[in-house]
Amino acid sequence: MSRTKLYTAIYVVLFVLATAQAVVEQAGYLEESYWLAFWAIMVLSAVKAVVVAGWYQHLRWEPRSLTTLMLLGLLGAVALTVAASYSIL
Amino acid sequence: MTDDEHETTADPTGDEPAVSDGGTASDGGSIVDDDFPADGVPDTPHGDDHGLPPTHSIRRWFVTTNHKDIGLLYTVTALFFLIFGGLLALLMRLELWAPGADFLAAGSYNQAVSAHGLIMVFWFLSPLAFGFANYVVPLQIGAKDLAFPRLNALSYWLYLFSGILMGISFFQGSTFNGGWTMYAPLNMPVYTPDIGGTTTVLALILFVASATVGSVNFLTTMHRMRAEGMTLRRMPIFTWSILLTVWMMLFAFAALLAALMLLSSDRLIGTAYFAESSPGGAMLWAHLFWFFGHPEVYIVFFPALGAMAEIFQTFTGRRLVGRKWFIGAMLLVAIQSFVVWMHHMFLTSINLEIKTLFMATTIGISLPFDLMVFSLIYTMLKGKIRFKTPFLFGFGALVLFILGGITGVFLGAVVLDYTLRGTYWVVAHFHYVMVGGVTGLVGGLYYWFPKMTGRMYDETLGKVHFGMYFVGFNLLYFPMFLAWETPRRVFEYAPALTGWHQLSTVGAFLLGSSFLVMFYNLFKSAFVGEQVEGQPWDFASTAEWTVPSPPPLENFPGVPTYASGRLEFEDGGSAQTDGGAVHGKAAALPGSEVTETEHGGGESHASIWPFVLGAGAFLVLLGLSGLQRGYFPEGTMGGVHIGTAIVGGVLAFGSLVAMTREKFHGPEGPFGESWPFTTVENTKLGLWIFLASDVILFGAFIGAYVFSRVAHGWTDWHHLIPEAHVVLPGLINTYLLLTSSFAVVIAMEFAKRENRLGVVGSLVATVGLGVGFLINKGIEWQHLFHIHTEAFPAGWDPGTNIASTTFYVTTGLHALHVIVGLVIAGYMIFRAWGGAYMGDDEPIEYFGLYWHFVDIVWLFLFPLFYIV
Repeated sequence: MSRTKLYTAIYVVLFVLATAQAVVEQAGYLEESYWLAFWAIMVLSAVKAVVVAGWYQHLRWEPRSLTTLMLLGLLGAVALTVAASYSIL
Repeated sequence: MTDDEHETTADPTGDEPAVSDGGTASDGGSIVDDDFPADGVPDTPHGDDHGLPPTHSIRRWFVTTNHKDIGLLYTVTALFFLIFGGLLALLMRLELWAPGADFLAAGSYNQAVSAHGLIMVFWFLSPLAFGFANYVVPLQIGAKDLAFPRLNALSYWLYLFSGILMGISFFQGSTFNGGWTMYAPLNMPVYTPDIGGTTTVLALILFVASATVGSVNFLTTMHRMRAEGMTLRRMPIFTWSILLTVWMMLFAFAALLAALMLLSSDRLIGTAYFAESSPGGAMLWAHLFWFFGHPEVYIVFFPALGAMAEIFQTFTGRRLVGRKWFIGAMLLVAIQSFVVWMHHMFLTSINLEIKTLFMATTIGISLPFDLMVFSLIYTMLKGKIRFKTPFLFGFGALVLFILGGITGVFLGAVVLDYTLRGTYWVVAHFHYVMVGGVTGLVGGLYYWFPKMTGRMYDETLGKVHFGMYFVGFNLLYFPMFLAWETPRRVFEYAPALTGWHQLSTVGAFLLGSSFLVMFYNLFKSAFVGEQVEGQPWDFASTAEWTVPSPPPLENFPGVPTYASGRLEFEDGGSAQTDGGAVHGKAAALPGSEVTETEHGGGESHASIWPFVLGAGAFLVLLGLSGLQRGYFPEGTMGGVHIGTAIVGGVLAFGSLVAMTREKFHGPEGPFGESWPFTTVENTKLGLWIFLASDVILFGAFIGAYVFSRVAHGWTDWHHLIPEAHVVLPGLINTYLLLTSSFAVVIAMEFAKRENRLGVVGSLVATVGLGVGFLINKGIEWQHLFHIHTEAFPAGWDPGTNIASTTFYVTTGLHALHVIVGLVIAGYMIFRAWGGAYMGDDEPIEYFGLYWHFVDIVWLFLFPLFYIV
């Protein structure tokens, strides 16, 4: 597949996943089972982020050190958020 | 052991097996020995200055981008702030001569306490270390300069202007007077209403911008521009300490930037992050601040530790014992530093489980430090000590740090902390550690002074300085342990403690006056001191000592290489590398080779635009400091503030444009060793490193939202949001951004095919979609601002409640990123129309890295702020 076709296919996937997130809310799943729907929506976001980073930002073809660099930043942000939030539970 | 046994220095470049007999390196790793100068060092160091004015010209210091000049500027400016912060400390000590506010007014004392802490921690300690880092690190790794010389100059000017802004805050009612930790809710305008308080916060933002730019620059340089054979394992210990410091800075300062931006939002716009009405507001500040604040302790101390290790090696004639373990311990501390922050919060309402966990991590972080301390002690035991001034300060720093470290372990234990927190025990411990670090850096100042000036200081006066310093230090801080029951930050204390405090005050003046000796010594010696060659010390082993003092503009007489195990310089040849190792002695610097031939004059060393950009940023923030609850003051002052901000904005934007148009050639690299980013070009790596810090910035903003929502009750949050806040605008904006990202990658494809109209069209589509995103957001915000419902009769604006605050500020930060991206894309359309990027998609790819990152952030903001 040429790069242009690949990028186009990815764009379609991203578009569909974004729509799916809204559909989860519109279909009332948040009211029925909040946390299940919540995690489904967040996982969809994570999948989209990985796809954009991997293909549009070309991390897939870059040295793993760049991915590690970004994951370090992400780890720091998640650690701060989770630990701080847990501390007041 | 005889002196002869020390004539060969410790191995400087390698992590080779340690020698066991006190300092004789056995593996040929010496750079400097009795045969100094090292191979290939010429006697005529100074070459072409590439248009840079001479050092006696004032203009030079405004335009220079050379790392050594910037290092000198950092060092001198930091010493100025030492005087500034030191005088404030002396005022405090005079006030504390007796209990009560009988010397300074109460408010003035609060200002002195707060400003002293902020100035010393931010504007003195780290910048002094970065003076050395700027000067020494490129020399130690075999680079001509930093990767981005103009950004290096920009770092300095942002630093200087941030300090000036801090100074100006004293004249705007009062500077910030709520303590250097700026705890909430004291940091809110209701308690610290003066404009000067806001200016202090903005000054800190400017300082953090400087630190972030510097971090990106140093990380790119140290990972990409090491000489052949200068592997990470072989890097000198000072350079290692700086490498770990800048990694910590990259992430820690991003968290501080987030905290300061949220605080600025509260103070300037009237949002409610840290308001008493916001659940968990005070705790949110503490988490964000200390997530930065504890790594900051090591950010400040590591360079001192690196300097101490260099000094110990040089003045004992012995390679650092357990060198690789020492480096490993530093690495471990750098990682651990991000998981101990809550020990500063044991007296808050965080739960017992998390307190216990953080007590364990805190006690754990002392272990690698034990290893480092024993390594330094054992190095002394195995070597033969020469008691020169740098060593005295290095040794003094070790003693003080041991005391500071041990007393800190007390504070890491929850039950002891309950008693000791908020007392002078903390003050004493903190100063033993931090000013212990200063002691090591002062040792570094004496150590590298001959390299920086080409002249030797007066040894006798140096020793007098140390004597006064060490006695004064302990007279100042040790009584604070004995008077530990004194409450922190206030001028009242039990009369029975007066004697200890008076002793402290005497010590403070002795310590302060010791610096007069230093300033006299260094100032006089800089002009009339004994001239030195490249290497004034007998056993210094790192590369900066192989070149003349001060070094020539581009540092080395040829291409530095460590391939043979010792430093050699090679003339340029035709061999080029592919980004990996350079093979053979005929190898050349790919970067310099290209630059010499293509640009005819080598690297550039002068640009006025970093200074102008720094001045512009300064004026923007000075102007914005007048903003309160979204409005500038009435009357003339309001006009002055607005005008200042506009002038600053024009200067800043103009200088950015000018920098993009300026022909400036920095060193490109790689020069042999670039692990682990061998195939990632400098600019791309710099961009990725910046994005990593942006991950923390946005992560902290999102974290603030999550934390506030948890504090309020996650599923009750919807009551804070009007019904009119629906999914559709967010979904439309998701479509717009995803499509704009797609347009960017298509632009890259058109660039590869050299299709000019395709590139222009794709970029125009990107901008159009981005503008559409902003318009959609604007319509949505206008609607929400002006809703009238029973729950929100006055609309839903940024200050309505914590939900509106988090929504507008987080998506607002994202919108600012979009705007910056649109400006860049607009510029690229202009360039593409003129035929740029044909067959060269790299610039579009680099823009895309940023634009896709902005897209990714939105992919999380959309569900968090519109769906769940």
